[in-house]
Amino acid sequence: MSDYRVVGQSVRKLDAVDKVLGKAQFAADIHFDGMLYAKVFRSQVPHGILLSIDVSKAKALAGVVIVLTGKDVPGSNSAGIIVKDEPVLVKINEKIRKIGDPLALIAAETEALAEKALELIEVDIEVLPAVFDPIAAMTDSAPRIYADGNVLAVRKLRKGNIQEVFTDCAVIVENEYRTQMVEHAYIEPEAGVARLEGDVVTMWVATQNTHFDAKEVARNLKIGLDKVRVIQATTGGAFGGKLDVSVQIHLGLLALRTRRPVKLVYSRSESIINSSKRHPCIIKMKTGADKAGKLLAMECTIIGDTGAYASYGPGTITRTAVHATGPYEIPHVAIDAYTVYTNNPTAGAMRGFGVPQVAFAHESQMDILAEKLGISPLQIRLLNAFRPGSVTATGAELTQSVGIVPTLEKTKAAAATLIDSQCSVMNGAKRRGIGTASMWYGIGNTGLPNPAGAYVNLLDDGTALVLTGCADIGQGSSTTLAQIVAEEFGIDMEDVRVVSADTGVTPDGGATSASRQTYISGNAVRLAAQEAKKVLIETAAAMLVVTPDEIAVGNKMLSVKQTAEQSQYLTDCQGECRLDLGLSPKGRGLSVRLVDCIAQCRSTGKLTIGHGWFNPDTTGLDPETGQGKPYATYAFATQIAEVEVDTESGEIEVIRIVAAHDVGKAINPVNIEGQIEGGCTMGLGYALTEQIQVREGKILTKNLATYLIPTALDIPEVYPLIVEEPEQTGPFGAKGVGEPSLIPTAAAIANAIYNAIGIRFTELPITPERVLTKLQEIQNANV
Amino acid sequence: MSKEVICFILNGQKMEIEVEPSLLLIDMLRNRLGLTGTKMGCGEGECGACTVLLDGKTVNSCLILARQVEGHEVLTVEGLGTYDKLHPLQDAFIAEGAVQCGFCTPGMLLSAKSLLDENPQPTRNQIAKHISGNLCRCTGYVKIINAIEKVAKSD
Repeated sequence: MSDYRVVGQSVRKLDAVDKVLGKAQFAADIHFDGMLYAKVFRSQVPHGILLSIDVSKAKALAGVVIVLTGKDVPGSNSAGIIVKDEPVLVKINEKIRKIGDPLALIAAETEALAEKALELIEVDIEVLPAVFDPIAAMTDSAPRIYADGNVLAVRKLRKGNIQEVFTDCAVIVENEYRTQMVEHAYIEPEAGVARLEGDVVTMWVATQNTHFDAKEVARNLKIGLDKVRVIQATTGGAFGGKLDVSVQIHLGLLALRTRRPVKLVYSRSESIINSSKRHPCIIKMKTGADKAGKLLAMECTIIGDTGAYASYGPGTITRTAVHATGPYEIPHVAIDAYTVYTNNPTAGAMRGFGVPQVAFAHESQMDILAEKLGISPLQIRLLNAFRPGSVTATGAELTQSVGIVPTLEKTKAAAATLIDSQCSVMNGAKRRGIGTASMWYGIGNTGLPNPAGAYVNLLDDGTALVLTGCADIGQGSSTTLAQIVAEEFGIDMEDVRVVSADTGVTPDGGATSASRQTYISGNAVRLAAQEAKKVLIETAAAMLVVTPDEIAVGNKMLSVKQTAEQSQYLTDCQGECRLDLGLSPKGRGLSVRLVDCIAQCRSTGKLTIGHGWFNPDTTGLDPETGQGKPYATYAFATQIAEVEVDTESGEIEVIRIVAAHDVGKAINPVNIEGQIEGGCTMGLGYALTEQIQVREGKILTKNLATYLIPTALDIPEVYPLIVEEPEQTGPFGAKGVGEPSLIPTAAAIANAIYNAIGIRFTELPITPERVLTKLQEIQNANV
Repeated sequence: MSKEVICFILNGQKMEIEVEPSLLLIDMLRNRLGLTGTKMGCGEGECGACTVLLDGKTVNSCLILARQVEGHEVLTVEGLGTYDKLHPLQDAFIAEGAVQCGFCTPGMLLSAKSLLDENPQPTRNQIAKHISGNLCRCTGYVKIINAIEKVAKSD
């Protein structure tokens, strides 16, 4: 569809100029006169009772303005996205559940003084036995982290009858997969600045969801939600890790109590220790197929370690369970997924939200099945891939925008020309291999209402102001939303200004998570623009003496739609008719300029403002069977990775990744490519190098020298391929891509490694040490 | 601790400022001079977000003292271009889609500049190697390398 002027164009990002000039204001860049600097005093034990805390010496230090402890939290003293289980400041005789739990809060005239004061705080903690293994945590004898047990959530999915069917399967594959804890490692550590503006606690923070933050602040400060204003500062990456509250409540408390501006910026190690992580998972998966390769049954048990607090854990495990089949129709499915509290760091939302773990499992299973059946990885996927009319494991029918097959075909075609067909040929100690992996990903929150709202005001000069709650975290949502509005009004990108994620100004957009904003906030701004446009169209119709349905909007004009005959007539009489005077073939005005139409609206007392909100069509899932419609639409993808394994050093180099993603409609192709390239790179880290190492609840890899994210030298050639299977309910057909870009990467790399050296890794990350150990085992067995 | 006055060239302008001996370059830039384009990502020289140019060479401003720039020339992102006249690298970063969250961008731009100043026609591998001390978690580096390559080729 090339009918669009702005949608589908790789327009420049709205915030890019400020960012390249160093002018974009990240939270840590904001300064107010008289500003205080805050530090958080935290627990060094993973499980205990806070018996006493003595802050008198810290308070006495010159330059320290205030020290707060649990008793100073006026409100609920609890935070959390789904379960309000995290203390803002642990109170006396209450529980510490992880290293890093906040015990006291300091504000001082300088950061150095605040740091010095930290050392003067004395605590007495009764250390409790702790549990760090999620399987152990599920037993009755494990230390109880919460009064009602350590199992946070159980999700069941039941479709068909697996037991009967497994006996009929020609081939069954059963394996246990383990995935590691990983860190978001956004380059900007958590930061915020707060101050009182009148009686309103106002703050600028790095966040993915200002409206959630405001509720957490208000409830804990015990003030009205109208007295809290959270504004998203330019946010330096988030990937799910800035969904949890970090500095917000602490800043609110300090600003309210001191009545001075206050800043709190985490150090890198503080960020790594205290931010949520990707859930480490243990996945037992049994998959059966008939002799042709058609999947018949899947049985799967998943245990996720959610650490000390729930964060997004209950939502993550639901998504893990729902996506466990992969993008394949399996008639008989039984899935049991548990998310369990331990005294480890909290796991929450991270790009992919529980799906990369299970994709590693189901995509390994697919390749193993294919090999046993003597068919290709592509064949088994094509044979089982969802198509319109397929029914998922939750019993939801996929009716349209099901792009998994095109992504399989497109990657295969591209890989055929890009990837050396001599992959498996040995080159000294180095072996090459290729691997395929696919994924599906439901757009929006799982089986829950998750609306977004927007206001659009078409101004007198034909420019538009968009108010959206949608936090742009660098992925470019503000630009995408502006493109949608520009397209609706037929105006240029330069004519749209987006004000986003400010609870004092914008409506709630929900979280920038679940790859939901293009679809949900995109629909909201489109509906808002359409409401304003309705007034315009009615006015233009009156001006042109036609009915509103005869009016088309575009190119800063409102015009009478032409039939083919009229078009020809117009072309013929271009020379004679004075079209600029508005003379039409019928003798009526042909068109009116947008600004003139707006002026006419004003002179007749009409404002061109619109509001819109959109909530995806979902249902809750049955607690016993998991049946329901968890999402309104899904993204699909296939990636093919080519790797080179050095059998002497165990090192793995990813040479190329071909990544085809069904995004519905690419509103901004270059931004989508950026998501795919970034996602593949993050997925590469997940596959090969990244692991948060924890010993007895303590993070050992607490800096970027020990926690290894990919550098520019580690990246493969990435070939992003955009597949557009338009989603009927999406804005211009769009769905989402942010998380899908990472989901299949680790699985594709693992499959490629198998192809290269014949070793099936069932645990991530696949480090050189693990490769060498396995190669050694094989060598020993052969001796 | 006795303060001392240091003189150096900052973004092409002569600068005199009184600093404490322990003051880090990044803190002088950000907190004393209000040049917040230079970012603090780790404070340990691992992420490269605080990269500035000292006599044309990249340094992590979180690892050196302010007084070490005495008599030298410092370039920060604020000295690279303006709204009216973007540096070609800034232009290319925008055009190629190399900017996502933007937190690594200032350091990345300065690393790129130092590379092109010493090697105007680098290969993609040389570019990757040169910016490997600047971590980016959003872009996967592809479009950043594209942008630098574009500027190199246009010279």
